[in-house]
Amino acid sequence: MDLVRDLLDKRVVDRHGREMGRVDRLVLECGEHSAPRVVAFQIGPDALAGRVAPWFGRLVSGVERVFKVDEGRPVRIALADVLSIEDDVKVDVAFGETAAATIERALRRWVGSLPFSS
Amino acid sequence: MGAIVDLVLGVVTSIGGFVEVGSISTAAQAGSEFGYQLIWAIAIATAMLAMLTEMSGRLAAVSRRTVAAAVRERFGIHFQLVPLTAELLIDTLLITAEIGGAAIAIKLLTDVGFEWWLLPLALLIWMLLWLSGFAVIEYGLGLLGLITLAFVISAWQLHPDVTDIGRSFLPTTPNHHYTRYAFLAVSIVGATISPYLLNFFSSGAIEEKLTESKLWVNTATAYLGMCFGGVVSMGVLVTSAMVLQPRHILVDSYEQAALMFVPVFGRYAIPLFAGALGIGCFGAAVELTVNTGYTFSQVFNWTWGANKPRRDCARFVTAFTLVLLMALAVALIGFDPLRLTMLSVALTVVIMPLVVLPFLVLMNDRKYVKEHTSGVIANGVLAMLTIVGGILAVVVIPLEMFGG
Repeated sequence: MDLVRDLLDKRVVDRHGREMGRVDRLVLECGEHSAPRVVAFQIGPDALAGRVAPWFGRLVSGVERVFKVDEGRPVRIALADVLSIEDDVKVDVAFGETAAATIERALRRWVGSLPFSS
Repeated sequence: MGAIVDLVLGVVTSIGGFVEVGSISTAAQAGSEFGYQLIWAIAIATAMLAMLTEMSGRLAAVSRRTVAAAVRERFGIHFQLVPLTAELLIDTLLITAEIGGAAIAIKLLTDVGFEWWLLPLALLIWMLLWLSGFAVIEYGLGLLGLITLAFVISAWQLHPDVTDIGRSFLPTTPNHHYTRYAFLAVSIVGATISPYLLNFFSSGAIEEKLTESKLWVNTATAYLGMCFGGVVSMGVLVTSAMVLQPRHILVDSYEQAALMFVPVFGRYAIPLFAGALGIGCFGAAVELTVNTGYTFSQVFNWTWGANKPRRDCARFVTAFTLVLLMALAVALIGFDPLRLTMLSVALTVVIMPLVVLPFLVLMNDRKYVKEHTSGVIANGVLAMLTIVGGILAVVVIPLEMFGG
């Protein structure tokens, strides 16, 4: 597998097909005598921003802390939880049970309070 | 039968939605200063836009990905960051300009200063996006936009010399003001090939569940809709050339542009121009605003869709709401709508190569478009557009300074 072409930046969906985000950063494990291998990937704006520039990642993390939506973020998905990698990366978790849903949940409280929102 | 209805509706609403603040201002200025001479710029830009929108629809129908989503996946965030940031900045400026255009239209009707209409218009845009689905946004506003056909009727009634118009489809050098001529030609291209249209078109294809079996509808809608839309733009230019140029009226405000309807429509001229400008600008502002929500959501893979209950796509709603608020803030600080339009159009040209180049790659990648890859001609034209776009991107700022 070509990690950059086939995994990085791909859409991630949960076991119900709900959008979770994208593969924003890969987590590699480097053994002393073995080649590095991918063990997980991360989802979240701080992971993505950190890929663009480390200071940018720290800035986004700081903003998340200010708004108190930083707990459990960026979301780490172990490769063992990946069900399939085809058009999308399907993972064996539920969107609502992960911190990937934190901001959506926080905003939904505001959006859902307005008339005709559902 | 359903496909034919889709086609007719798609073409009709493309015509109605074609003309907005950028195309009206650039075409009116071109007509008033250079007669028919810049019709070729509209023709070329319209053909390019038709080709790009067809590709956007094809990409979405086959890959189930919009342009923004496919670019993120294929090129990665490092490539996408610059055009994405620039596009969102330009979209914000354009929303401001479109709201300004619609506000001036109401001012023409009511004589109440346009500044007073900015906030109500922004609120109306948000409420429309909050309460309606994609069909109302696309088809409802597109059908109302058919009022812009007044430009074509006006041009027709003025009995222009068809041979002269025909000759203007070939580029010629002007007798005066070369820099201004070049600036307007580039601006017409920038106003016509607006990057937001490409992502909006592909998002629409996903919203409307366009499938591979209906690709012919996509092709016919893109080419027929855009080409007839280009005729409306030419209507603006021809009317301006026949009415404003002989009277030496230069279009440095929308109020002056409104005078172009007087010979044909008499006392209905101002209401009709205001209606065409207002609905054209309002429709474009709505599309631009929802497109910013689409773009953010697709780049980050959030749940999105104008047909979804708003509470189920809270980040999508918040994204377009924040952009609309930013556009409103720019508008309330104080601006000249016509100048802001010309600035946004020039900036559009600067990022054009970065917008066009991904199509050259995506439309030849079987992973995305399977067997529906582009042919030699389409690839050749796109490659040429990328190179020309690169040259225009370099010259547009000096042209803006000396000819704008």
